[in-house]
Amino acid sequence: MSWHFLLRRKFVPYLEGELQPREAKRVERHLLDCPWCRGVLVRLRAGHQMAQRLQAFDADEHPRPEFEAVITAVQPLSRTGRRAPLWEDWFDRLATPRAASALAALVLVQLALLVVSNRGVLFGKHSSVSLKAGALDLGDFRQLSIRELKSNTRPHVATEGYVYDVRTDPEEGTVAFKLAESADPSAPFVVCEIMSPIEMPAPQERSYVRVYGVARYDAQTDRKWYEVNPVLNIAVLKR
Amino acid sequence: MAIERLEQTKFRGVRDSARERALVLAAQGGDVGAFRQLYDAYRDRIYNLVLYSIGDPFNAQDVLQTVFLKVFRSLRSFRLQSSLSTWIYRIAHNECQDHHRRRTMAHMPLEAILGSSDEIDTKPRSDHQHARQERERIIQRAVMQLPFKMREVVVLKYVEGLSYDEMSRVLGCAPGTVASRLNRALVELEERLRPFRRLL
Repeated sequence: MSWHFLLRRKFVPYLEGELQPREAKRVERHLLDCPWCRGVLVRLRAGHQMAQRLQAFDADEHPRPEFEAVITAVQPLSRTGRRAPLWEDWFDRLATPRAASALAALVLVQLALLVVSNRGVLFGKHSSVSLKAGALDLGDFRQLSIRELKSNTRPHVATEGYVYDVRTDPEEGTVAFKLAESADPSAPFVVCEIMSPIEMPAPQERSYVRVYGVARYDAQTDRKWYEVNPVLNIAVLKR
Repeated sequence: MAIERLEQTKFRGVRDSARERALVLAAQGGDVGAFRQLYDAYRDRIYNLVLYSIGDPFNAQDVLQTVFLKVFRSLRSFRLQSSLSTWIYRIAHNECQDHHRRRTMAHMPLEAILGSSDEIDTKPRSDHQHARQERERIIQRAVMQLPFKMREVVVLKYVEGLSYDEMSRVLGCAPGTVASRLNRALVELEERLRPFRRLL
């Protein structure tokens, strides 16, 4: 029985003609004597033929603005000590009309970043990014109360509350905190996470802030809570 | 002629891997443009794994960006002794697994992916084209309804064209386990698609 099991692992390579002639003959000899494996092979062949017709999808050609902002914000010094010549790579992309609109958006993001941020990241250190509000269109984030996050279907949200339980995980490069509607521990809350390489100061305990980020639901058995992860911007409303 | 084609393919493979190596080194040295080229080269391949694993195009796009943020963050630690594609697939696999663990499947909008292109595509299609697309959707839907581990192995093999060894490195299990999992997936796929056999 276990021998059948091991031989059956060769059925897909056999169907694809990838077995050595000797191995293929061994499979065929076995098939002649084993109606059960013949049945398995027939079903495998049908599944294999259908799977071969699976289509590939294309991803959205333009990355999300926040991703673009993170990538373009990091311009670490190269090994020779000079900044990488970004314009050299982007010059070719300018030549196509399709790239023009993406490039225009990118330039806007970079200009915003140049205004609000002018620091690089030293080579050899852990790459990190200061993602500022200027790099994002905060108007795109749906304003919701913590309670309303349950019925939200939009990916990008902004929500307000009091900060509790700020926890830093240096190994993962993350800062997580609870954002609660009030000081009452039983009040509805949402878990917020700042993830590396996005770097922003952790909010102060008990401060009242507005958090911008991606809405998620964590369905692990010990959790089952709503999250804003990753956090893309924090506005302090009351200290 | 066949040998010539094989040689050309081999040469292209060498050239591509040398180019990829140069891009990785440049990206590790801080060249954001080089990283963008790596992103462009792998974007669609990783998206397929993520989309088939997650089922929802919008969340898939989100996970795709998270995968590349992690690639970006960890690229300095990548050693060129191993294959870049396997390394990126592995990060994507971990991210999908993590996403799968965290999310309930109840609200996975499978229909969103199956309906989206129709909603966007306003050009009239021939009956033949329409029938072909319908057949493809039936198979896609059946694959997306497979258990997570089976779905992954089917996509890595049939959409991404990975070998058993490559799949075993991405999934972190023995090639024999990959083969058994693939067998189970194909048998289950056949069972799910049996009622549609005449249509397909």
